[in-house]
Amino acid sequence: MAEVEFDQASRIYTAGAKPAVNRLDLEIEDGEFVVLVGPSGSGKSTALRMLAGLEEIDGGQIRIGGRNMVGVPSRDRDIAMVFQNYALYPNKTVGENMAFPLKMRGVPKEERASKVRAAAEILGLSEYLDRKPRALSGGQRQRVAMGRAIVREPQVFLMDEPLSNLDAKMRVSTRTEIAAMQRRLGVTTVYVTHDQVEAMTMGDRVALLKDGELQQFATPAELYDQPANAFVAGFIGSPAMNLFTLPVSEQGVRMGSSELALPRSLRSRISDAGLSTVQLGIRPEQWTVGADGNGSGVKAQVDVVEELGSDAFLYAHLDDGEQTPVVVRTSGRSGARRGDQIALTPTSEDLHLFDPSTGERV
Amino acid sequence: MTVTAERPAELTPRRPDRGPGSRADGWIRRAPLLPALVFTIIVTQLPFLFTIYYSLQSWNLVRPGSRQFVGVDNYILVFTDSQFRQVALNTVLLTAGAVLFSLLLGLLFALLLDRAFFGRGFIRTLLITPFLITPVAAALLWKTVLFDPTYGLINFVLSPFGAGDTDWISTFPLTSVMIALVWQWTPFMMLLILAGLQSQPHDVLEAARVDGANTWGVFREVTIPHLRRFIELGIVLGAIYLINTFDAIYMMTQGGPGTASANLPFYIYQRAFLGFDIGQSAAMGVVVVVATIIVATFALRLIFRSFSGGEET
Repeated sequence: MAEVEFDQASRIYTAGAKPAVNRLDLEIEDGEFVVLVGPSGSGKSTALRMLAGLEEIDGGQIRIGGRNMVGVPSRDRDIAMVFQNYALYPNKTVGENMAFPLKMRGVPKEERASKVRAAAEILGLSEYLDRKPRALSGGQRQRVAMGRAIVREPQVFLMDEPLSNLDAKMRVSTRTEIAAMQRRLGVTTVYVTHDQVEAMTMGDRVALLKDGELQQFATPAELYDQPANAFVAGFIGSPAMNLFTLPVSEQGVRMGSSELALPRSLRSRISDAGLSTVQLGIRPEQWTVGADGNGSGVKAQVDVVEELGSDAFLYAHLDDGEQTPVVVRTSGRSGARRGDQIALTPTSEDLHLFDPSTGERV
Repeated sequence: MTVTAERPAELTPRRPDRGPGSRADGWIRRAPLLPALVFTIIVTQLPFLFTIYYSLQSWNLVRPGSRQFVGVDNYILVFTDSQFRQVALNTVLLTAGAVLFSLLLGLLFALLLDRAFFGRGFIRTLLITPFLITPVAAALLWKTVLFDPTYGLINFVLSPFGAGDTDWISTFPLTSVMIALVWQWTPFMMLLILAGLQSQPHDVLEAARVDGANTWGVFREVTIPHLRRFIELGIVLGAIYLINTFDAIYMMTQGGPGTASANLPFYIYQRAFLGFDIGQSAAMGVVVVVATIIVATFALRLIFRSFSGGEET
């Protein structure tokens, strides 16, 4: 077990072009579960592969347990990796697959067998040890890949979208299993996903990347409540946060024809930053819906109602002449219908403000 | 060959007497295939039947009127002929040696071509070229340009080291033929194995590296098992072609000295068209065909087993 540090680590595929990973700084503590998340092309997988030794480190350093990994081949890094397509050895049985990392390290045969049996026990694979991977289901293959990683007892687990080939239900249950197993084993884990729900539910901390740059590295709650910039705000949360670029007025901001009053604390932050327009972020659950005609609130018209049982999401557009879309969460079976006129008022005082030119949090 | 699947009796509907599904209708639909079937029988099965018939006769073209039925005497002669055994051994050595060495060289070149380097496409084309040359021309090339004792390139290159006076073809006749065959067949093996290498999923190789395998470990534990069926295919196809080698032997050594470099096809040719002993050579031909069928059955079973398994995950 060890801590992992990315210190200004960069990966440059073509000289002069934008780096795939640009001066990444991450300090991952011993035993921590860190999720790298971002849209495709954000460099999250590249960062993981740099840590695994499958990509060059072109600039900066990556340290595992304080040891610089530049130029160290994968096999000497004491890591184990779970791949997206599992990458099982097709010609080896399940047992041989799981024993392979031990075999390559010269572990004696009896010890290999007992470790494989123990891991198979935990993962419920005992009866499949003599089968070839092609005779297993997707979920079982995924577990073999996990088993191959845990028999090694490595310093760091690396997981590259290990759940993306499972069906939705399997994904949710396996997600919990992986998180629970990591807590029990206490092995530092770096997990890559493009799914923000996985990131939020599994990680002790989440690093959000975009275009090879780190956007924010924080706990899931902090990422949700205090997004560092408009990109983070829009990426985390489902449905996404409503973001409006609005002119600043006396009491708050102008939203279409009406004025949206903002609390004093937010107004002072705007004036401190000296902004004349501001990007306002309101999460779907931060609205209250009133029937139209009571005077207060922003007027909108409902386009689609998504009824989920416990909640419902209203997809509406504002009556501001530009038909700006807005998403609102209400309680289930609220009776809203397509075409309804509604008035929206922000409930919370913790609205998010961003500088429209830089996207940074105000 | 046709494969008929037995249907359970209760599922077989009664055959109608007329119209679709009737016996006549079946023949109408098969009729367009008949010319091909008849042609195949005429060019492959009839000659074989004639060969069997000739093999039971004592018939030498140089002695007209001597033709008579002798039963299995020809076969007894075949199995007691020490030259035939020598030639059969030559055939095995030549085929096995040429397949094995071209496979090893092909594996080596395929591994080199599987990595990126400057001018790879050009090198690949150069390496494939021997396979594109007419076998007769290739044999002639080896015989005259390379192996010739007086003006061959091999002796020319060796002469500064004081070893340039060997008559390669008469000293090592079978090996010389084998070298020419290996030279021609290496590109075939190389292409086959290269296709195997390039169909290998990258993540499995990466997984092996992360799991602690060094280059040799990855090759032995992951690449070779993956290549197994490509290698098997190479062995079977190579053996099928090389067991029939005639042109290289004819051009380079004429089977000599004596029968030192003759293989079965060449020996049968000699007995039939130089010795004019039709009965003897026909018997040999039948023996070879039967032996080939036995070997080929096992070889083909091997291919089908390794390719129907479907190893991909």
